[in-house]
Amino acid sequence: MDSPITAPDGDWWSEKINRRESIWLGISGVWALTLFGWMLGWTEFGAQNQTGETYEVSTEALRQKVQTYKQSAGTLTVDGEELLVPPENDVYVGALQWGWDGLPAVLRPGETYRFHLGSYDVQHGFSVRNADNLSQQISLQVLPGYEWVLEMSFDDPGTYHVVCNEFCGEGHRSMHGKFLVRDYDESAVTAPEEDGSESGGDADYGGWFTGDAAGGATENYDGTTVDETGADQVTVTVGSDGEGGTAAFDPPAVSVSQGTTVTFEWASNNHNLLVDAQPDGADWGGHEPFENEGFSVEHTFETSGVYTYYCEPHLGIGMKGVVEVV
Amino acid sequence: MFGFSTYEYDDDGFRECNVTGLSIHESAEDMVKLYGLTAILALAIGGAFAVAVALTRWEAIGLLSAGDFYTYLSVHAWNLLIFWMVFMEIAILYVGGPFVLGRRLSLPRVAKVGWVVMAAGAVLVNAAILFTEYPNQAPLLTSYVPLPSSWQFYLGATVFVLGAIVAAVPFLATIWHHQQENPGKTLPLVTFGAFITSVVALEALLGGVITYVPTLLWRVGYFESLDPAFYRQMYWIIGHGSQQINLLAMITVWYFLTHVVGGAVVASQKVSRAAFVLYLFFINLGAAHHLMSDPVVSAGWRMWNTSYAAYGAVLASMIHAFAIPAGLEVGRRAKGKAGGLFGWLWSSPWDDPGFSATILSIILFGFLGGITGVMMGQMQLNMTWHNTLATVGHFHATVATGTTLAFMGLGYYVLRLVFGRDWSLGPIAKIQPYLYGGAMGLTVLMMMYTGILFGVPRRHPSVMDIPGTAFSFSPAKPFFAVFGVAALLAILGGALFVVVALASLLFGEPFEGAPVGDVQRAAADGGGRAGGEGKAAHAYSMRGTFVLCLVFLGAFVTLWALNWYLLSTIWQIGP
Repeated sequence: MDSPITAPDGDWWSEKINRRESIWLGISGVWALTLFGWMLGWTEFGAQNQTGETYEVSTEALRQKVQTYKQSAGTLTVDGEELLVPPENDVYVGALQWGWDGLPAVLRPGETYRFHLGSYDVQHGFSVRNADNLSQQISLQVLPGYEWVLEMSFDDPGTYHVVCNEFCGEGHRSMHGKFLVRDYDESAVTAPEEDGSESGGDADYGGWFTGDAAGGATENYDGTTVDETGADQVTVTVGSDGEGGTAAFDPPAVSVSQGTTVTFEWASNNHNLLVDAQPDGADWGGHEPFENEGFSVEHTFETSGVYTYYCEPHLGIGMKGVVEVV
Repeated sequence: MFGFSTYEYDDDGFRECNVTGLSIHESAEDMVKLYGLTAILALAIGGAFAVAVALTRWEAIGLLSAGDFYTYLSVHAWNLLIFWMVFMEIAILYVGGPFVLGRRLSLPRVAKVGWVVMAAGAVLVNAAILFTEYPNQAPLLTSYVPLPSSWQFYLGATVFVLGAIVAAVPFLATIWHHQQENPGKTLPLVTFGAFITSVVALEALLGGVITYVPTLLWRVGYFESLDPAFYRQMYWIIGHGSQQINLLAMITVWYFLTHVVGGAVVASQKVSRAAFVLYLFFINLGAAHHLMSDPVVSAGWRMWNTSYAAYGAVLASMIHAFAIPAGLEVGRRAKGKAGGLFGWLWSSPWDDPGFSATILSIILFGFLGGITGVMMGQMQLNMTWHNTLATVGHFHATVATGTTLAFMGLGYYVLRLVFGRDWSLGPIAKIQPYLYGGAMGLTVLMMMYTGILFGVPRRHPSVMDIPGTAFSFSPAKPFFAVFGVAALLAILGGALFVVVALASLLFGEPFEGAPVGDVQRAAADGGGRAGGEGKAAHAYSMRGTFVLCLVFLGAFVTLWALNWYLLSTIWQIGP
């Protein structure tokens, strides 16, 4: 008999193999074939196959696609929450640090939808589960630069929660979205607004609020600048509702008198303030660290002109603002 | 080296080991000590960070903030999955090559250079992680582009990978010289296993160069961007390939330790070697299972690569799963240490930590790590495993339980046979493998339950409180309580190993030598080839092993069927 630490002598290749070891080899071979055959068979007969076309798409183009989709989608209000109603059977979901653009949405049971999954920034994980049955869950990788189209059809009505399960930065754990699967009356759906174009109001600040400037278009800017000139105390909420989640400045544009102190108050988590442009001689530094709900910072604006600023992680979905000092 | 050793060398620098009968040269032994102790240092660092990671995921404690959690998790992952493993693997190559062949280590200076480069890389990676500053993020293990990590991190990773390649060269040179002097001679099985390990390792490390050099160039601004799909495919060559090194090194250690401590023989040279050759061709392709739930790669590509893994690597693992216990069964039957079906097992030296660690490693790796690995390697099932805590359970079953136990077992014998020190704190040494293996086993079961049954994601500092929503994974809470306690016990078990190792080095009695275990290792060796005197290995009964393997197959089929059942309850996905 051979030790594993000495070189075997003689013709070890021709030595017989124990009968039970031979049987085990056979069993193992059959099992490996079964595993493979079952997997192949499931693509034909099974209902769960993560196969679908992938398209190369720039993050900018994807953002536009999702934007266009959202503008053409109607809305349904359920329990005080506005849900997107896909106009056709295409559902767009754009992942970003740290939210899901295109959600929440409402889908009909039994209907087959084409999910378009993509990312605006880094890699994310599209991890979906039925709230009533947590073991009904799947996870799909989402890559920037690619759009993955996957068909899905839901039989069980209920709430489906989406979390990110690929590490995407410090706010990773806060990334949550959802969609409802339920029947709804067409008459309860609010039709999309015909005019999807931005700005055109009294100021456009060089197109800062449109998708042509850095980041996405700012949805909650309707072209009007809130006039707070003369007020001695002005507050801007950071991370109020809007922009597909809690990523908006409210008001997005405000005009104040010289020497006014503006307080920025955080209403949700993971936001910062970065200054895009400010008048010559102005010294506003913004606030770079990420802060959470409850935080506030203030700045006294001495130099007149237009200050454009944004939230870095949510620039992609248009979390942008303006302070105009007159 | 280090002055801990109690052994003397002859004028040529050789000594004979009175347990294994191996002729060991100082040049190789020094390097085994150096690499082995460095590995244990990495184990201690990674284990210390595991405390904070486990206490954060156990949200009843919730120790760390999100930012700190990712930093600690990264240090934990790099030290345990990479540094503890790879330093130990280089030591295993030097045992499997020069030790077993009875040769000097060729190019000993290159081995020293390799250590310096690897150590520099490891220090740099750790420092880069700990000093990560925004906009850079903690790399975790994967550092997926385009989420940026610091360029120092990528530099450190590159340096470490290059160092490991350099450190493998003296092993390959030793084999080369041996074959030059002994043309046509078969390598011992353990050396053969180590050789295949080194080839698989070089493939993986080359993947590391392709991964980290472009990423480094991207971070210093030479490339404007990198394709994330390209990065993922290249990354997993090293990302999973490095874990295949663990697998092969571990299996080599299984053959080595069951023999040295339990008196195992080779059940069939042909079968065991064929299984290693299957690994050589197929195991690294198995890494494709990381892209099973990815866009970009086609269904055909994914199926093809999974079929490789199913045919090649799984088959090879199932062969070793039989061959190693069979070798033990035959060896012990031949030495009169067996009766009935499992007499060879009951009579084994279960109070020898080298033996118990090895057997626990085989069982836990197979049942917990191997089976789950095959599950998630099936394309459709992968959707339910991908990036859940169950995935983390899988690789804690393979690497943190299976491989780590095997390396601990080897560590116990490195203390005795290389440093010449018997174990201090003997009673602790005896229970340590059981404590560590049992607690780790429970920990990984909880990870798998929470991941599969509740869909709890990995890489989250908290899942019981998701900002901005009432939704949470709170039904999984009781499982996390068990997880938390088990994880702490496991870390305690790991710490006890480090304590025993250090105490033995510093205060251990000189090791008196053979016999170890309960059998004279060489007693029934030699003879028995067909036509020779004595009874050949294949002529002994392997019925105990066969029954054990059928139990394993039963568990395999049951878990596989359950996983497919769970998948079938999910809504329709795909055409």
